[in-house]
Amino acid sequence: MNTTTGVLVIGAGFSGLGTAIRLSQAGITDFVICERAGDVGGTWRDNTYPGAGCDVPSLVYSYSFAPNPNWSRAYSGGAEILAYIRHMTDQFGLRERIRFNTDITRLVYDDDTGTWTASTKDGHTITARAVVSAVGALANASYPGIDGLDTYRGHTMLSSAWDHSYDFTGKHVAVIGTGASAVQIVPELVAMAATVKVFQRTPGWVLPKANPHHPSWLTELFRRVPTTQTALRQALFYGHEAMALGVVWDSAVTTLLQQVSRRYLRRAVADPWLRRRLTPDYRMGCKRILITSDYYPALQAPNCKLITWPIYALSANGIRTAEGIEHQVDCVVFATGFDVYNAGTPFPISGSGGRVLGDEWLAGAKAYKSVAVAGYPNLFFTLGPNSGPGHNSLLVYSEAQIDYIVQAISLIRRDGLRSLEVRKDVQEEFNRDLQRRLARTTWNSGCSSWYLTGDGFNATMYPGFATQYARGLATLDPDDYLATKAG
Amino acid sequence: MAHDFDTMLRTIKDKQWSLADVDWDAPGAETITDEQRPKLKQFMADLVWIENIGAMGFAALADKAPTETIKQIYKYFHAEEQKHANAELALMKRWGMLDDGETPEPTVQVKMAIWVLDNFSDDMPLTGLATLIPMLECALDGALVKFLLDEVSDPVCHEVFRHINSDESRHIAVDFQVLDVVGAGPVRRQLIESAAVLKPQVLLGLIVVFVPLLNKMRDNIVAMGLSEQKLYNAVKRFVSNGDRSANTRRIPAYQMFKQQARMVIDRTHPYHRFLADPLVKLTNAFPARLLGKPPSWSKELTHEPVDR
Ligand SMILES: Cc1cc2nc3c(=O)[nH]c(=O)nc-3n(C[C@H](O)[C@H](O)[C@H](O)COP(=O)(O)OP(=O)(O)OC[C@H]3O[C@@H](n4cnc5c(N)ncnc54)[C@H](O)[C@@H]3O)c2cc1C
Ligand SMILES: [Fe+2]
Ligand SMILES: [Fe+2]
Repeated sequence: MNTTTGVLVIGAGFSGLGTAIRLSQAGITDFVICERAGDVGGTWRDNTYPGAGCDVPSLVYSYSFAPNPNWSRAYSGGAEILAYIRHMTDQFGLRERIRFNTDITRLVYDDDTGTWTASTKDGHTITARAVVSAVGALANASYPGIDGLDTYRGHTMLSSAWDHSYDFTGKHVAVIGTGASAVQIVPELVAMAATVKVFQRTPGWVLPKANPHHPSWLTELFRRVPTTQTALRQALFYGHEAMALGVVWDSAVTTLLQQVSRRYLRRAVADPWLRRRLTPDYRMGCKRILITSDYYPALQAPNCKLITWPIYALSANGIRTAEGIEHQVDCVVFATGFDVYNAGTPFPISGSGGRVLGDEWLAGAKAYKSVAVAGYPNLFFTLGPNSGPGHNSLLVYSEAQIDYIVQAISLIRRDGLRSLEVRKDVQEEFNRDLQRRLARTTWNSGCSSWYLTGDGFNATMYPGFATQYARGLATLDPDDYLATKAG
Repeated sequence: MAHDFDTMLRTIKDKQWSLADVDWDAPGAETITDEQRPKLKQFMADLVWIENIGAMGFAALADKAPTETIKQIYKYFHAEEQKHANAELALMKRWGMLDDGETPEPTVQVKMAIWVLDNFSDDMPLTGLATLIPMLECALDGALVKFLLDEVSDPVCHEVFRHINSDESRHIAVDFQVLDVVGAGPVRRQLIESAAVLKPQVLLGLIVVFVPLLNKMRDNIVAMGLSEQKLYNAVKRFVSNGDRSANTRRIPAYQMFKQQARMVIDRTHPYHRFLADPLVKLTNAFPARLLGKPPSWSKELTHEPVDR
């Protein structure tokens, strides 16, 4: 079966839904959203592990065009964020526009008609003038390649596919990984399980999280005078913007933030050996900063232990580490993070003249303003190459992308274009400048992280302030594009 | 000389073993005689603590490693030295020298070494540590282990030390490769780093702690019947390995430790009469409680192959 539509939006997470909302508000209503899962929410539908939550305040980690006065606290939990996404979906009447359980497996461009045809896993096709790929930046999490994984007889789970039917009470549990998800999971498990062993490879920089409940008068104020919410959102936004000085570039501010983090560590952890093992050996900002006040206390609970010996294998009953001991556990939780799409594409995309995007991106993804790619007309990405912040809400970036994309699609429709394609020279100049600026950032300062490809190419992060990024995307300059008329 | 540290790291990962791989109840424990037991117990206890000190040495090196791969290698070596200590504790347990969960009490010299490592290893420059460790590995591990295997016929002990020796061959190879890399660095940096070894608190720590530690162990094992020739061979190995590389020969710290190693094995050298012996006496009388609580890393040893 083939469907034809004006705009195909792939993905019903924050970005896909946001795109649909802004398209509607711009009067573009012939769109279809395809979502491979059975519900909206993306990341927040999948990450339901105990303790899941955002680490940027909710007032900033939400869309300005869909304000929510009801956030219960500064940093909301995952359930509340998912509820916000569901509410947003219903509020803008999007649910009936979504084709759930529809997994896009391929995109092919037709030069003659200037349209894209998407294939779905169950054999249907959808043809659209424009496509917005809002599939998220994080690929599906998978089990890491540890020797003997298949010989382990206990229970295993991924942080991003939590098994809520498993009862941790009285269990001996291992958590592998100490990143953003792990620091949220560990305190919860320590409260539930008999023992928790946390296996760390590299410690992260930790900053304490003050997470006050929003008092009822504040919620009331937000409802009555929405501008107050906007004002606080702005204040929080600029507070995070200032962090860029320390996170994006290695500067005096970085040193200052590291001092704050070290002082917090000194206060929170009494034992010097534990402290030493928790002290990072790279500049702050090079990897994602961990915002938590519960993690260090949990690690020091009597039923919790931090293991820093390298893991070399899983055996039938547990984890074997290089100090020669087998750590026997009932359950292993993998909080080992995600694969990011910094090279290749999530599904095959063949563009103008049959060129394959995955091949072009093999050495590292490149786009224009993270949204458009030369050779792939009428195709737009959210959270595309080099759109990641280390210091601020991803949704601020996503919102800027969405509005830019809506401008592009509006242009196609207004001028009745067959194709709108970013100029190759414009894209190349943009990337030359981008990589020049990236070279001066902390991420490219020699530490290895998932921000970089195997060869050290940075296709993930944006080297600057969110304000700067948003300004760059505020108006679409038609001169950057090649437009061909239909007919 | 180009060294392939990536391949080395891969080999290290491939060669991992676990205490659980060993059948600690296999026959052979009865081969230890009552006459051997008390001296062997002291010997093993010293060995365990030397491994533990070596472990911490590698932990300190990991923080100063010149490349990410070498850092990873050192992290494994840190763990492997801990594994050696754990395995040796398991042997002691098997031989009826330990109660459940017991770790032997370290000598006062070991306690002091732990204290110095805990407090000063961060001040120790890479070159100093990188030279000290191969000396300990060659002289002590090499000689001690060979001696032990001559004395003890328990097949489980031999099995365990086949693993340990295989690990040690990689430790020593990397030790000298890193020295070669460090020695190839600019002379100016070496002078600065060597000057750091000579900082009073570091030098004093090294002398007061390692001189008596080495001497006491040396005398203990010689008293147990280790021939001085074996010790001599071990040091010769250190020197011939080190001298093979022109880069290593340029490292002042290497030259310094080389001299010290020579003095340690030669019992007639005035070093013993004037420095080492008096320091052993002095440290024997040192009240260990002045060192405060032992650091928590020194309490992580275990003879249990599995932990739940
Ligand atoms: C635990 C956790 C905490 C986080 N906290 C923060 C935070 O505090 N601040 C912040 O800025 N960011 C945070 N993030 C990042 C977060 O991922 C983004 O902020 C945001 O949720 C991304 O939304 P998205 O819609 O772009 O992508 P996603 O949420 O990943 O949504 C993509 C959607 O596309 C669907 N899809 C994918 N491929 C296909 C296909 N082939 N066909 C059909 N559908 C497809 C997926 O099923 C999914 O529903 C966090 C992430 C995690 C995992
Ligand atoms: Fe050893
Ligand atoms: Fe060793």
